[in-house]
Amino acid sequence: MVVKDLVKKYSEGPPAVQGISFDVRAGEFFGFLGPNGAGKSTTIKILTTLMPKSSGSVSVGGFDVDKEAHRIRKLIGVQSQETALDLDLTGQENLMLQGHLQRMGGQVLEKRVNELLGLVGLEDAAGKRVAFYSGGMKKRLDLATSLIHSPKILFLDEPTTGLDPQSRSAIWSYLKRLNKEDGITIFLTTQYLEEADKLCDRLSIVDHGQIVAQGTPEEMKREIAADAVSLTIADGLDLASDNALSEARQILRRIVGVTDVIYSGNGLTVYGKNGAFLVPEIVRALDNAQLKIATISVSTPTLDDVFLKHTGRSIRSEGHKEISVEQKKKRPFFFGRKQEVR
Amino acid sequence: MSLIQDSWHLFNRTNRKLLRKPFLIFFSLFQPIIFLLLFTQLFSRFASIPGFPADNYLLFAVPGIILQNSFTSAFQSGTAFVDDLKSGFLAKMLVTQANRYAILLGRISADSARVTVQSIIIICIGLAMGAHPATGIPGLLLMLVISALFGLGWGGMSIFIGLRTRSSESVFAIAGFLTLPLLFMSTALTPASFMPDWMQTVTKFNPISYGVDAIRVLMLSGFDWQTILEAFGVIGALIAVTMGAVVHQFRKVVG
Ligand SMILES: Nc1ncnc2c1ncn2[C@@H]1O[C@H](COP(=O)(O)OP(=O)(O)OP(=O)(O)O)[C@@H](O)[C@H]1O
Ligand SMILES: [Mg+2]
Repeated sequence: MVVKDLVKKYSEGPPAVQGISFDVRAGEFFGFLGPNGAGKSTTIKILTTLMPKSSGSVSVGGFDVDKEAHRIRKLIGVQSQETALDLDLTGQENLMLQGHLQRMGGQVLEKRVNELLGLVGLEDAAGKRVAFYSGGMKKRLDLATSLIHSPKILFLDEPTTGLDPQSRSAIWSYLKRLNKEDGITIFLTTQYLEEADKLCDRLSIVDHGQIVAQGTPEEMKREIAADAVSLTIADGLDLASDNALSEARQILRRIVGVTDVIYSGNGLTVYGKNGAFLVPEIVRALDNAQLKIATISVSTPTLDDVFLKHTGRSIRSEGHKEISVEQKKKRPFFFGRKQEVR
Repeated sequence: MSLIQDSWHLFNRTNRKLLRKPFLIFFSLFQPIIFLLLFTQLFSRFASIPGFPADNYLLFAVPGIILQNSFTSAFQSGTAFVDDLKSGFLAKMLVTQANRYAILLGRISADSARVTVQSIIIICIGLAMGAHPATGIPGLLLMLVISALFGLGWGGMSIFIGLRTRSSESVFAIAGFLTLPLLFMSTALTPASFMPDWMQTVTKFNPISYGVDAIRVLMLSGFDWQTILEAFGVIGALIAVTMGAVVHQFRKVVG
């Protein structure tokens, strides 16, 4: 799959995709990580032949997306972001219909349907109308329908958004297996850092229709080449005010071993070699400056830090090793709540 | 070949959905049946006016009611299409290997089947009330064909509006706006000779009149081929125009 200088302009608004390029090798698990409105769905729609591009070139499985769309459709399975199922039909009927449309039939199809129902844990609900399914059940069934014909390339647009942690990790392990054992190429978009980190061989981080970083998760994190110490200042000091902020930053920058200090709206992130040794220095320095620390935590860099570095905005990831001064408010480990889809 | 197969699966899908929500079969039947019951009372004296073409108003009205149903029922095609468009199910079908025109063909053939079932229900009610067709079973079959084809033609119209506006509200609004004027300015409920001149002219340009007239000769007198073939001609032209528009618009939407 090769994408070059892809641009998509909708009739209104700024271009949703502004000249992105990447390639996905056969058998690779490739991720597209980005916040709401980054252009992930737009890109997937173009790659899956659903929407014409404005310019650039796109080939999938070696076929041109404009001229050989019908060949591409034979290779791909697609799970769209909006769970597209027929609510009046049962789970089993949805799978059967999808199989028929993929030119399957007879016992082969029946066997495959049962296999997939087992796989996504919907055997018991197979005979129930999808209208009565929970959101997570629908999402799982939708994934199953996209797999019915054992596609070579699988496109997944936020497949685990809205799932509970158990279902999510079940899907993760299944996707990993599909990729590793069956050699299926997977293109996945997500807002979950952890998901991208865990699953993807390589990924692009996208924001505002542009790729801000690309590579393997390890490469990207190594690029930061430092631990991250995240801290928030106790109430009473408004970090949003320019003076206090620049003062705090200057104090922190002066500490030996600190390579960078980034302000991310809800706190400061200090990068430096060997974060555990930095913590006492930071505490001391800020204490001397009469700045009271509310929370402080050290982590090896995450994709969050990569995103932060390139966009100046944060998507705080859970799983920080915390040295808690006060109880830190639990934050979700994704980019913020999904907006209602229309 | 694959077109037929794919259409067949989508035909089954639509029918299965309909059986799960049987009220949709009666949804468009409701108004025509009320008309049938009311108007046979309201206009019962019509039959005694000189020049009225039937022995009683019921015999005269049943063909009109059949076409009224084909006409209103057709608008469900458009709203169902909009539903698929909005839910993403259309996109899901489009990324499969299925022939894209099967999406249209499966839908409209299922809708024609629905219209046929509804016409059978109206004919049965008519029979129960004493409207026995002059042409017997073959005539009844021909009536069903005419009503189904008419439904197909108007169904195309509603799918076109649905694809164009992408809103079922628009389909409903246009349906609501068109139904009564087109119905009353046709020969469905009143003989043309009872109308003022200008309205008689309108009925001549109203495709409903042609469908009604053909079903009516089958009901009242016999196989008057000239009227019947005229109906097939007009309905065929209607189908050609609306389906042409649908295919054009469908291509635009699916890219
Ligand atoms: N049909 C459309 N017409 C006009 N603008 C659109 C359309 N679809 C998307 N956009 C705009 O394009 C941009 C990218 O949207 P897109 O759906 O690709 O984002 P996304 O990365 O998938 O976001 P999310 O995580 O919310 O799904 C957004 O600013 C959006 O408002
Ligand atoms: Mg999206």
